[in-house]
This record gives sequence, C-alpha cells and structure tokens, in this order.
Amino acid sequence: MGKLKQHFIFISAKAGIFYSFILLFFGAMTLSAQTKMTSAEAEHLKTKVKEQAETTNTITSNFTQYKHLDFLSNDIESKGKLAFKSPDLVKWEYVQPYAYSIIFRSQTLYINDDGNKSNMDVGGNKLFTQLNQLITASIRGDLFDDAQFNMEYFKNNENSLVHFFPKDDQFAEFIKAFHLTFNAVGEVIEVKMIEPSGDYTHIVFSDRKTNQPLSDADFAQ
Amino acid sequence: METVPKTVLNPYFSDTDKDYVYKTKIDAFDKSFGGILIVKKIASEHHRIVFTTELGNTIFDFEFKGESLKIKRILPEMDKKLLINVLKRDFLVLIRKNSKSLDSYFNEEKTMVESVLLSKKHYYTFEDGTLQKIVRTGNGKEKVTFLFSGINDNIAEAIEILHNNVKLKINLKAL
Repeated sequence: MGKLKQHFIFISAKAGIFYSFILLFFGAMTLSAQTKMTSAEAEHLKTKVKEQAETTNTITSNFTQYKHLDFLSNDIESKGKLAFKSPDLVKWEYVQPYAYSIIFRSQTLYINDDGNKSNMDVGGNKLFTQLNQLITASIRGDLFDDAQFNMEYFKNNENSLVHFFPKDDQFAEFIKAFHLTFNAVGEVIEVKMIEPSGDYTHIVFSDRKTNQPLSDADFAQ
Repeated sequence: METVPKTVLNPYFSDTDKDYVYKTKIDAFDKSFGGILIVKKIASEHHRIVFTTELGNTIFDFEFKGESLKIKRILPEMDKKLLINVLKRDFLVLIRKNSKSLDSYFNEEKTMVESVLLSKKHYYTFEDGTLQKIVRTGNGKEKVTFLFSGINDNIAEAIEILHNNVKLKINLKAL
C-alpha cells in the first residue's frame, strides 16, 4: 500500500516536472512572441501614449539600471529614483551603489556627485539638448517624432514595444536605438538604450506614481 | 643578502573572473568630471577598459593587448592625442601584472623595485608585501604617483593617480 502510494507520488512528480517543462517552454515561446503591429495598432498605441502623456503632470518612480557590456561577467547594477514634472523638469537620482543626481532644467544640468555640486550649461550643445529632450520624452513615452526617428512597433502580450532609431548621424553614433516598453495603459515601464557596439543600458521602472503633488524640494540639487 | 626578484608583481586587475568597477573622478585643468571606470582582464596581457557616464553612456572603450592600445570607441570631445597618450601610460601601469625587475632596494618595512614601462622608469613600493605605491620618474623627478589603499583580497578600494607636471588627478573608488 505504502509502496504503491510512493510509486504514484513518484509518477505524478515526474509528470509534474514534465508539465512544468512544457509550460515553461510555451511560456518562453509566448514571452519571445513579439509580433509586429499593424499600422492601425501602431496608431492606436501612439494615441494612447499621447493621451497618457497629456494627462500626466508628475511622475515619481524607482528604477534599476543594468549596464551590459559583452565582456563583463555580470551586468553593472545600480538603483535610483526619478521625479518628473511637466513639461520638462527631471531629476534622475542614483542611490545605490553611489549617490549621484542630475537635474535637467531648461538649458542647464545640475549635478550632485556625492555632495559635490556643479552646473553645466548645455544650451549650445546639440547632443545634450537632444539627450535632454529624449529623456523627457522617454519618461513621458512621447517620443513618436517621425522627423527624428524611424520606428518599429511590436506587441508582446498586453505590453507594447517600440524601437526608435535616431535619424541624425551624430546622434546615431552615440546611441543606435532606443527600445521602450509600454504597459497596457501606455506608461513606459522599461527603456533600453543600445550603443553602436551592441552594448546597452537597460532601465526597469517600478513603483511608479503619477500626478502626486511634487514641490521644489523634490527637484533640489 | 636578499636576492633581487626577477619580476615585480602588480596584483590589482589581474583576475579574469572579476569585473573591476570604479566610481571615478577626473580633475583635469580646473575641470572636474566623473563617471564609471570598468576594467576587465580578458586574458593574459589582454584587457578592456571602458569609461562611461553615470547614466551608462560610453565615453571611451579601450582594448589593451600587451603595450598596444586599440581605441574601440571614444567621444569626439575626448579624442585628443595628448590625452589618449596620458591615459594609455596610466592605464598600462594599472593593468600590467608582471614587469621586469631591474633593481630593488630594501629597508625594514619597505621594498622598492625599479622597472621600466613604455621606456619610463617606474618604482614599485611594497609594505609588508602589499603594493602601496608606483612612481613614474622622468629626468630624475617624480612625474606621476599611483597610490593604492584599502587593499583586500587583491582589490584596491581606492586608487589615486596624481600627475605632478600637468594638472591632472584621477580618483578611483571601488563600487
């Protein structure tokens, strides 16, 4: 009796492993099943993201950044938080493993490097101006500018993935492509910046809160 | 009488299993800028050194094979021959594991070993067997000082590179 039970448990455990394997396999299949959007679907996504951006006055979020270099054993991981206030005020702050924050305010970058504060006027620097616009646009998700990017649209379960390829040669030398992942309501949940070498920076947002009141203190250097 | 060792050993950046990542501050000509310096030993006499901004964008990507440097990528603003030569010399000192020992000096606590790298004399100072300092000289004067501190398991927590003849200081802090 006991032996039979044992045998049965053994079989069901084996079956369980088999089914989990099958599930895992198909799970992985659906995960990687990125299908191209139709142009109607792409238009729908653009409208949704634009509407989302227009009704977003503030965002706070945590993020984890993974810097991937092909030759490294592990990605370099850092954590931080972000504050955004419409139209273009951004504080990007690393808290771990180092303290470093950067505030994008009109034509100036305000940097606080572990207590050492400095400002950088980037008004004349095309690359920085573009980078600034881009950071704001990626946070808002509102990056769909045909003049600046070639775009490809994919769907991935309920999420959407858009690849942005900069048209400007000088910029493309710096960043080959941006991949933005949007959730079902059109919020950016992941950003991947890919360099010409193929190395990339992957940022995953978490604990995002929209339209909470933010004060000047939230954007202090 | 003690014998002169044939090679002088710099153990930092010598483990191919480790990713060496340093928060970096460079003070150059009254300007100060920071970033992340990533050093990886790929194989014997083969290293990659990448400098990125805190936000992850690559500023330069160097590949060293022996004494030769291949620039895989560099921002146009940094692409200055003089600057690259300075960085090449400094980085080679950091990553070169074994250098030929030409002479050595001893006292009670310290050992100093003389070597040559890119045709410049370098003096390696060891205290209790731990590499603490490397000094590059030129015309009998100290030109560049490399200071290693907070040493644990062949990793230097802090590295300072001080140039005496040009206004350049590089500070590395292990992450």
